[in-house]
Amino acid sequence: MSAVTSAQPPKEVDAGVSFVEEINHLLYAAKGNPINTCIQCGTCSATCPVASAGYMDNSPRRLIAMIRAGFKEQVLKANTFWYCASCYQCTVRCPRGIDIAELMYGLKRYTVWRSEYQEGLIGPSFSETFVKMIVRTGRSYEPVLATSYLFTYGLPEIIQEAQTATALMLKGRLPLLPARIKRLDNFRRMIRKIIPLGEPE
Amino acid sequence: MKTYAYFPGCSLEKMAYSYHQSAIETTRALGVELKELEDWNCCGATAYFHVDELLAFTLCARNIAMAEKEQLDLVAPCSGCYKNAYFAREALLHDPDLAEHINEALAEDNLQFAGTSKIHHLIEIFAFDIGPDAIKAKVTNPLKGLRVAPYYGCQILRPRKGKEDVERPRFFEDIVAATGATPVEYLLRLRCCGGALIITNRMAALSMVRNLLECAVRARADLIVTACPLCQVNLECYQKQVNREFGTELNVPVIYFTQLLGLALGIPPKRLGIGSELVAVMPAIEQALRTEPAPAAT
Amino acid sequence: MSERKRLLIIDDDPEFVAGIKAILTRAKYEVDTAYNPKDGWAALKSKDYDLLLLDIMMGRGAEGVMIARKLNKDPKLRNLPVLIITGIREQIAFLFPGQAVHPHFVPVDELVEKPVEPKLLLEKVESLLKAAEERKAKAK
Ligand code: SF4
Ligand code: SF4
Repeated sequence: MSAVTSAQPPKEVDAGVSFVEEINHLLYAAKGNPINTCIQCGTCSATCPVASAGYMDNSPRRLIAMIRAGFKEQVLKANTFWYCASCYQCTVRCPRGIDIAELMYGLKRYTVWRSEYQEGLIGPSFSETFVKMIVRTGRSYEPVLATSYLFTYGLPEIIQEAQTATALMLKGRLPLLPARIKRLDNFRRMIRKIIPLGEPE
Repeated sequence: MKTYAYFPGCSLEKMAYSYHQSAIETTRALGVELKELEDWNCCGATAYFHVDELLAFTLCARNIAMAEKEQLDLVAPCSGCYKNAYFAREALLHDPDLAEHINEALAEDNLQFAGTSKIHHLIEIFAFDIGPDAIKAKVTNPLKGLRVAPYYGCQILRPRKGKEDVERPRFFEDIVAATGATPVEYLLRLRCCGGALIITNRMAALSMVRNLLECAVRARADLIVTACPLCQVNLECYQKQVNREFGTELNVPVIYFTQLLGLALGIPPKRLGIGSELVAVMPAIEQALRTEPAPAAT
Repeated sequence: MSERKRLLIIDDDPEFVAGIKAILTRAKYEVDTAYNPKDGWAALKSKDYDLLLLDIMMGRGAEGVMIARKLNKDPKLRNLPVLIITGIREQIAFLFPGQAVHPHFVPVDELVEKPVEPKLLLEKVESLLKAAEERKAKAK
């Protein structure tokens, strides 16, 4: 950038960062190849157990095409990454060495940070409940987690869940009390070194 | 006696307590000691790795650092915990800045990550450290006639870690064979069980569970064995819900590979936690063993 | 007035960067941009800057904190004034609702939260630069 332009009012429209570049920046530390190298072969979608069963509104391949075409809104509102089970099948099979599962994680992160995800999904509130619990106790605890999804269920599902839970309870497999780690104060201070929120140390 | 630092993970405290019991019993019987980390924390599971990876690395690094303090390699019986710990260690080893940053946080708990302890999945201890031959040598009750479907699931193998075979692994079959049982070949042994989708997208997960179970049953499996608490819960505890939603009549027991091993090693079922399943295990096993035309049987 | 001051923005949000870059350029600052921590650090090492505008949540998580800590350990960059501009409270508000961000990762940082008013931005930038000049003058 030369200093000459300073004479004019700097109305320069920034060359701009395309959506695909933005996603590449988000994944700058990931090991796989950038998604620009995708050849749209469809291996990821064919091999994905969730997409091939018809539960994703956009298959992984299609999502990548949408990112490259700059369809930001549509990408953020897709359920693809929230319905990804992190099974890494796509990642190990992609002929271009793209870490698609990592992309899915990245997009979850991206949308959580911006609170811009498809409405009605359980994934985001489940994640939040989960983290909150760990930050508080250092351990996870199934009954608390249930609160993040049960409210979205209809009555038949709730009854089924309750039956499963009762059966597990009778077998002694549901904890009645949340566990916590011993050095919780140290643990919390540790977390605040990584996330600069809450009472300073 | 070889000793490992043992990180049971949250599920093994209650939901998968039988995995914990049977892991302890079988390793002891085979001359391996699992020494539980004294103040381990949750690994972050799959739900958190994406909101803040740095925090997720920190959570894993704390557990790893405790193992390093004991100068022991870390063993995780849960595939999710294992994957997270494994990749956290890799990330820290290859990024000194990241390691330094996280060590600054670990210092709050007087811990330090150096990368001296390796990470193993529990099944790797049996498959590679002990080995099928040594297991076979200790088997007192060979499970002849029992058809067992080994279920790998995802995260023991994927994503690629090194040179291992992610498409055609055999180590789980070898362990099953060492017990005298017949490993069942079926197509979906590496297919995902749905994982945490059981919570975030119940129908998708139930349909994945259904496909898996049907595939194993079609291959005439008497029993499915897993190496991960999440897989076990999805495949077993949700079977009733699968039947309800899809009109199927599935009723196949799903246990941990350590429970299967324990039975073959002559450990009483109760000490292996058998009996806490929602789909009864022993009847299926007894029936299979009975119908085997063995000369010694009545 | 001395020569134009050179600023670096490290922030992953292109729209936000375009916005503040326009404001700062109009105020006659020379502005470079980096959209991830790695490029940002490379820029800091390759050129001299008078001020850094730093985001917190980037890449894998709160990587802005990581950069700030690295700055603090670098004898040459230690005194670079840093203006942290963050939306972290909104980005992960569910974790510690209503609680403050605690900055001061480097001796000379200040923090403003997104969205930031152009006027406030310019004021903060100016005062940080001025303080840095004064420190330099005193050191002489
Ligand atoms: S498998 Fe890889 S190259 Fe093929 S469509 Fe998917 S991401 Fe693109
Ligand atoms: S990691 Fe996600 S996107 Fe990839 S195959 Fe598995 S479920 Fe599908």
